Amino acid sequence: MPLNVLEEVSSNETGTIGRYDDYMDFLSKNLADDEPQETPAPRVSPAPVLEPGAPSDLELMQGIQQADPEALSLLYDRYNGILKALILRVIHNEAEADDLLQEIFMEIWNQAKNFSPQKGKPLGWMVTLARRRAIDGLRKKQAYARAGERLKEETEQQPEAWVHNATEEEITFGDTRVLVRKVIETLPVAQQEAINLAFFSGMSQREIAAKTNTPLGTVKTRLELGLKKIYDGLKELRDEL
Amino acid sequence: MNFEEFQNQARLYVIGALEAEETEAFEAARKKFGQKADDYIAECYTLHEAFALSLRPAKSSDALKERLMAMVRNRKET
Repeated sequence: MPLNVLEEVSSNETGTIGRYDDYMDFLSKNLADDEPQETPAPRVSPAPVLEPGAPSDLELMQGIQQADPEALSLLYDRYNGILKALILRVIHNEAEADDLLQEIFMEIWNQAKNFSPQKGKPLGWMVTLARRRAIDGLRKKQAYARAGERLKEETEQQPEAWVHNATEEEITFGDTRVLVRKVIETLPVAQQEAINLAFFSGMSQREIAAKTNTPLGTVKTRLELGLKKIYDGLKELRDEL
Repeated sequence: MNFEEFQNQARLYVIGALEAEETEAFEAARKKFGQKADDYIAECYTLHEAFALSLRPAKSSDALKERLMAMVRNRKET
């Protein structure tokens, strides 16, 4: 959730006219309260669709576990864009994101033996690893304030950081992204903001409360309700498959 | 903490949003619920995938991949 839009939310709650007119409809539909909305979450695909005959993520991880560089090469081609986007979302610096991306794929190579399919899927493992490294990097730089400012600047040009238009290069993941986005967009804006700050900025509930000038209990409720709705949306599809 | 409360906390836990004092109670509940709790936590990590997949992929240079693969091949040879 873009910080500037959140400020806008506060303004709207006190009756002030906001700057982002194109957001007004969206905000008015989503800011009424933090209760789950009646609209059921759209079905979402839990993983991108692969080309027919392409090795699965699990097969590639098994290849990496057997020290096959080609398996890492294919896994890199498949997910470097997503992992870099995640890193960039956290640290907002292109050069540092590239360095981290390289380190993360080296870690995937070195730590592949620790991956267990019983504990989850390869993408989940990689995302968890990448997020942790990115947030560690952010904390080391003690850059919360700067990242917030950069995020604010970035979102002034791109009001909804989680919403993107699909491009040709995104075909593989396009449908998945659209579906995941639809789930996220069903959440009230305040819930999106809380989740955004927790997941992409690594903030605790107290930090989110301080950052957004919101009572701690409200932050907790927003996180719980928002995460439950997203989780339920994902689970619904998984149960069907 | 009942299991429904544990589930709510688990979703916060996987994104690192539990406060220290909550983590203590969460870990105690995790022990109480055993394997069922661990299975649920593992499932919650699908949230990580979902958030990552909600982003538009970012481009990386070909040189970055070349550097990476050179490092990997060196590592393999040594």
